[in-house]
Amino acid sequence: MKLWNVAGMAVGLVLVLVLTLAVFGLPVFPSLALIGEGAFGDKFAIARTLVKATPLVLTGLGMVVAWKGGMYNIGGEGQYIIGAMFAATVVKGVLPNPHPLFGPLILVAAVVGGAGYGLLAGWLYVARGVEVVISTILLNFVAVQLLRYAVTGPLQEAKRQVPESDLVPKALALAKFDRQMDLHIGTFIALAMVVVVWLFLFYTRAGYRIRLVGDNRNVARANFIPAGRVQLLSMAVSGGLCGLAGGIEYLGPAGQLGFNFPQDWGFLGIPIALLAGLNPAGVVPAALYFGALFAGSDNLARYTTAGPTMIFVIQAVAVLGFVRLSTLRLRRKTAAAGAD
Amino acid sequence: MTAEAGLHVENVTKRYGALVALDAIDATFFPGEIHAVLGENGAGKSTLMGILTGFVTPDSGSVTYNGAPIPVGRAFECKKIGIEMIHQHFTLVSAFTVAENLALARLPSLYSLAHVPDRAKPSLAAAERLGWAVDPEARIRDLSVGALQRIEILKALGGDARVLVFDEPTAVLSPDEVDDLFRVLRQLRDEGRIIVLIAHKLSEVMAVADRVTVLRKGKWIASSPLAETNQTQLATWMVGELPVGHVARSPGGGQPGIVAKGLSVKGDRGEDSVRNVSFEIRRGEIVGFGGVDGNGQVELAEALLSIRARTGDITFAGVPVSPDHLRIAYIPQDRQTDGLAMGLSIEDNLLVTGHRNLSLRRGPLLIAKRVHAWARGLVERFGIKASSPEEMVSSLSGGNQQKVVVSRALESQPDLLIVLNPTRGLDIKATEYVHEKMIEARNGGAAIALFTTDLDELYALADRVLFLSRGELREEGGAAALVGASR
Repeated sequence: MKLWNVAGMAVGLVLVLVLTLAVFGLPVFPSLALIGEGAFGDKFAIARTLVKATPLVLTGLGMVVAWKGGMYNIGGEGQYIIGAMFAATVVKGVLPNPHPLFGPLILVAAVVGGAGYGLLAGWLYVARGVEVVISTILLNFVAVQLLRYAVTGPLQEAKRQVPESDLVPKALALAKFDRQMDLHIGTFIALAMVVVVWLFLFYTRAGYRIRLVGDNRNVARANFIPAGRVQLLSMAVSGGLCGLAGGIEYLGPAGQLGFNFPQDWGFLGIPIALLAGLNPAGVVPAALYFGALFAGSDNLARYTTAGPTMIFVIQAVAVLGFVRLSTLRLRRKTAAAGAD
Repeated sequence: MTAEAGLHVENVTKRYGALVALDAIDATFFPGEIHAVLGENGAGKSTLMGILTGFVTPDSGSVTYNGAPIPVGRAFECKKIGIEMIHQHFTLVSAFTVAENLALARLPSLYSLAHVPDRAKPSLAAAERLGWAVDPEARIRDLSVGALQRIEILKALGGDARVLVFDEPTAVLSPDEVDDLFRVLRQLRDEGRIIVLIAHKLSEVMAVADRVTVLRKGKWIASSPLAETNQTQLATWMVGELPVGHVARSPGGGQPGIVAKGLSVKGDRGEDSVRNVSFEIRRGEIVGFGGVDGNGQVELAEALLSIRARTGDITFAGVPVSPDHLRIAYIPQDRQTDGLAMGLSIEDNLLVTGHRNLSLRRGPLLIAKRVHAWARGLVERFGIKASSPEEMVSSLSGGNQQKVVVSRALESQPDLLIVLNPTRGLDIKATEYVHEKMIEARNGGAAIALFTTDLDELYALADRVLFLSRGELREEGGAAALVGASR
């Protein structure tokens, strides 16, 4: 994407923010200042923005991989929950002896859980023709119910009084850089995954096949590329990334599982991926924008009547505007390519 | 009847880029006649029909109806003066009832959805006149294909349609339904309408048309009352004169290549597309498969590639056809649906074959530097006009898009090459280039199956010629057999 487009988008995103504030009847500039302060005011604010952006980066990446492969995965939320539950299961298993070296193992479990849950939807499509959009939406509800069952059953805390899991022991929680800051090592894992996914999609054979199958299944078929297997892979990778987001959230900010563990990070991966133009690199600024809005709006709510609803309005308007712009651009390009 | 009565097409030309779809066409369609426009795919039938009905704007020339010019390029205005088109692909809303669909065609605006029965009435009256039992309350999605076509025709008859243009109306019908359609076409003709019938099946034209115009490769070839011509004549007009005295060039002594034995293949709708064919193509040989589109070409090609289910045996030098031990190259019929990923770059589209290339990758990784150099090399060698291989393939012209498909298939020497109409829509230079490359591959020892409807191409390239007609192979055609005329 050209620098000019990026600059234009940044201006557009701020404009959306300004307009929404105005429509909600808030004083625009003081509100902007409050949001800015909450998101970037000091190192604590920046840390909050980054922490909010972390799961969004991962679930956004997950959506990019699936959608690039033509699999319209709406099940990031379910894969996120299952990933966290896998992680919690391993944590419970190693609880008698919580050594920090188990950390990677727990995250791997989260990836495996999410990937498996994504594969389930992929398999339903490839083997049985069930549309991914439908199956993943429904599997989200299944995941929520599984979580409720788990925290009132096998994963419930030792005293069995509240529907929550045990707190993650200190030794296993994600490393923090500063006691008072929320920033944890998961943010850097997420950023590393941006590079990994980008390399995967554009510099590996498997990633290439995902992009090809997603764009034109017939071409793949005519050239002996097993489209079904490729699409299964894209769902596994997608689910794995969402599962990782769940694992990180569980080991980091949440610290335990409970009824309120799902915070819609999986759903929000979809607008992030759209805003990123299905480009892994674009996921970072898109997630930062959303993360900053969340962090900033907390501050805004402290001083004004604005609630979190407004933030969702801003996000929705931004995504719709961007999608509209993309279709317009596409139409112009198609028209330019002309009658042929 | 004045001299001007009817629909007159004069000197109409339409270009799409470098491709001349219609080249100075003249034709006259008279009231009370069924006038068939006959030609192969790509002959220009669809373009001409689009111009008659206002969907396509010609570059030059005029179309007049009863002496007055029609509103060219404005389909809705053309409907208003009574020119209706019956589309091959139905334009019906499947969740609506029959009456709602019929009314939809007569809506003055989107804000007056009321009075559906009133608006459907003229169409339903037409149904009665034509002897069709139509249930106005039936849902479109519950109807058979034949019934859908009736609704499509009734939609057109809801107004005062004077000109009816039918786009290959028999393509989806069973024989009984075809007979009924012909009865209706005659009745509509006898009511004084102009009936234009776009067709490529000779037998149907012979059965129903009063007058016929033949197009070939965008050019007007002939017009004649049906009574003054015959099937062989029409076939020759359609496909051109068969070259005579053609001799096999290949000694046929190459290494064993692909052998097909007792091959039967089903089409997408489960119909028998290829019936019990057997042949051999040796290495260093181009076997040409002639015949009109839709006689099993695509199905046979895909079966040879082992990407379509079949019964019967296919082996290559004794082993199954698979990319694991053979270099297989495929140039599909339709580059936009089967050849190219239009949302990806030129380089990505070249990689369709290149990603198997061991020199471009290390294990699962693609080596970007080598891929870039390789793609640049192909773009240069094959003269693909693009500023860079990173450009989107959709930004290329049709000819250059085809070069992308051809170049990736022929960049290294294949063992087996399957080619379908490789030069359709290409200009002369690009065509020569593709032919050159195929001969190069042949001389390099490839076994080549060339499926083409273009006889010049067939005889210019093939060492041996076979004809596909209704899924069966014939050694020698004769023009009539070639177009599948005999039932």
